[in-house]
Amino acid sequence: MDRLTRGLTAFFTYAFLGIMAFLSVFPFIWMVLGATNTSIDIIKGKVGIGTALLDNIRAFNAAVDVPLVFWNSIKIALISTALTLIVASLAGYGFEVFRSKYRERVYSAILLTLMVPFAALMIPLFVMMGKFGLINTHWAVILPTLGSAFVIFYFRQSTKAFPSELRDAARVDGLKEWQIFLLIYVPVMRSTYAAAFIIVFMASWNNYLWPLIVLQSNEMKTITLVVSSMASAYYPDFGAVMVSAILATLPTLIVFFVMQRQFVQGMTGSIK
Amino acid sequence: MAMSELSLKSVRKTFGALEVIKGVDLEIEKGEFTVFVGPSGCGKSTLLRMIAGLEDISSGDLEISGERMNETDPSKRGIAMVFQSYALYPHLTVRQNMGFALRFAGVPKAEIEKQVMDAARILELEKLLDRKPKALSGGQRQRVAIGRAIVRHPKVFLFDEPLSNLDAELRVHMRVEIAKLHKKLGATVVYVTHDQVEAMTLADKIVVLRDGRIEQVGSPLQLYSDPDNRFVAGFIGSPKMNFLPATAVTTNGQPSIRLDASGIVLPAGHLATRLAEGTKLVAGLRPEIFKDGGDSSLLLDIEMVEHLGSETLVHARSGETLVTVKYGGIRPMKDGETVRAEFDAASVLFFGADDQRIR
Ligand SMILES: Nc1ncnc2c1ncn2[C@@H]1O[C@H](COP(=O)(O)OP(=O)(O)O)[C@@H](O)[C@H]1O
Ligand SMILES: [Mg+2]
Repeated sequence: MDRLTRGLTAFFTYAFLGIMAFLSVFPFIWMVLGATNTSIDIIKGKVGIGTALLDNIRAFNAAVDVPLVFWNSIKIALISTALTLIVASLAGYGFEVFRSKYRERVYSAILLTLMVPFAALMIPLFVMMGKFGLINTHWAVILPTLGSAFVIFYFRQSTKAFPSELRDAARVDGLKEWQIFLLIYVPVMRSTYAAAFIIVFMASWNNYLWPLIVLQSNEMKTITLVVSSMASAYYPDFGAVMVSAILATLPTLIVFFVMQRQFVQGMTGSIK
Repeated sequence: MAMSELSLKSVRKTFGALEVIKGVDLEIEKGEFTVFVGPSGCGKSTLLRMIAGLEDISSGDLEISGERMNETDPSKRGIAMVFQSYALYPHLTVRQNMGFALRFAGVPKAEIEKQVMDAARILELEKLLDRKPKALSGGQRQRVAIGRAIVRHPKVFLFDEPLSNLDAELRVHMRVEIAKLHKKLGATVVYVTHDQVEAMTLADKIVVLRDGRIEQVGSPLQLYSDPDNRFVAGFIGSPKMNFLPATAVTTNGQPSIRLDASGIVLPAGHLATRLAEGTKLVAGLRPEIFKDGGDSSLLLDIEMVEHLGSETLVHARSGETLVTVKYGGIRPMKDGETVRAEFDAASVLFFGADDQRIR
């Protein structure tokens, strides 16, 4: 009886997990398979390996300046991630470590920005970028992401695990505040940085709505924009769309697998 | 008069509206091992951190070697500190950890290497120099933390509860090591602990703190045998001193002191002229003053006996008051028995209603 209950529990647990795993992995499989099939086969719902891979790649290459679009995405994601990490880690560290009468009030105000939906900011932001003369430049995509309340919050939370006695020891050893940050905090918190890097990089790479609005000419566009514009064409070539989707997914996969261990460490907050 | 190595004059510290250090005056001589002891939260760490320069001094003066240091940067005060969590830099090797301060003081590489090697030799860390802290045991980390302090040749070593993260056995071992090191280096040490045994065994001079004030300063044996007040008497010594309510009376025309719970009368001795009849007192009897053949005695109802072999601890009641008695060696006593515990009246201390000692 007891064994039966346990067996059933295990069965349903695994069945549930299996279904969930299938639901999240199937689109990827379908994407990869789709890249080898013709547009017509894909629409028919064929699941299986086809022979159209080279044709699809050629079609995609003909439609898009692949290196340029890829470079745009990478450039924006890397600059945006690097600057966000610098700003947010300085802010998170500062909020946690330095006492001030106004600290919590200012911090709450920053967190409050998480409550404002992006749709409400879009038009004022667009007007602002217009005034700066930045429309249709990559800076228009990068700048609004820098003061990320979420990443500041993440760094402040992680900094709670940074031992205050390390700061004290460094002060006794003669380090200035900026040296403590650069030479002690940054290396000690490297798994926090790694996790934040992945989160911010992926978010930037997948960013769609805002780039769609501010990047207007083709030579400025990112891969995410290109995938979507190909998929919404009048006669979409779904084989080529699948190839572009693979290309768009690849970098985030690589980043994640390369930094997986640090990512998990950073998320579980272990300082070693 | 010789100048003190470290001197605190009316030092105070407030955090916002909360006063944590309430006026401390203290002189520490060169080469002296001084221990700050007191219950948790009494301000020991805060006072130590004020000496180190990690907390601002709200008012008063701090002098090291005769120089006022209130506003001096921690790295320029001639101090080194060993932290409770050791605070080793986790991403640096033992060697780099130990040489870190010298690197920032602009000491040449070769000289740093020599200093680190010297300290490593003293602490037997030579084989561990290229390891990271996480590959070390608790005791080894502790020694690296001490090594990091030694390398700087400070005027004053500051320790904040350095042994509290170690297990009992290692704690005793490191305590002995620290005592030896102090002898070897002849260094001035200020050491914070809440453990009175650590204080008694290490200190030349104990500073007992309570609630941001100094209760008494003295050598371990001075504090043990001649405490200024009931707090110090109760804090120093283990098991704790027994406190029995008492009253000044006159018996057979003689000024004497009656223990309220038992009605036992002790001669007032040299206190005779100082106590008005009816004055309320507290008598302090250390558990170890009880012995066979004393001139006075208490009748005790035993509640529990702890047989430790080398000694026997008797927890008993005299009326309503709990009394602990410590006998050397093995005693055939049992729970529930009634015994007469003898002691010499001369070894009893008396405290007034204000908890101050009446001498
Ligand atoms: N940064 C601070 N802000 C406010 N109160 C503090 C701060 N540091 C210590 N205190 C308070 O000061 C008192 C003494 O603390 P501390 O010196 O750490 O005690 P101890 O080391 O004797 O246990 C405590 O009541 C503590 O809460
Ligand atoms: Mg403390």
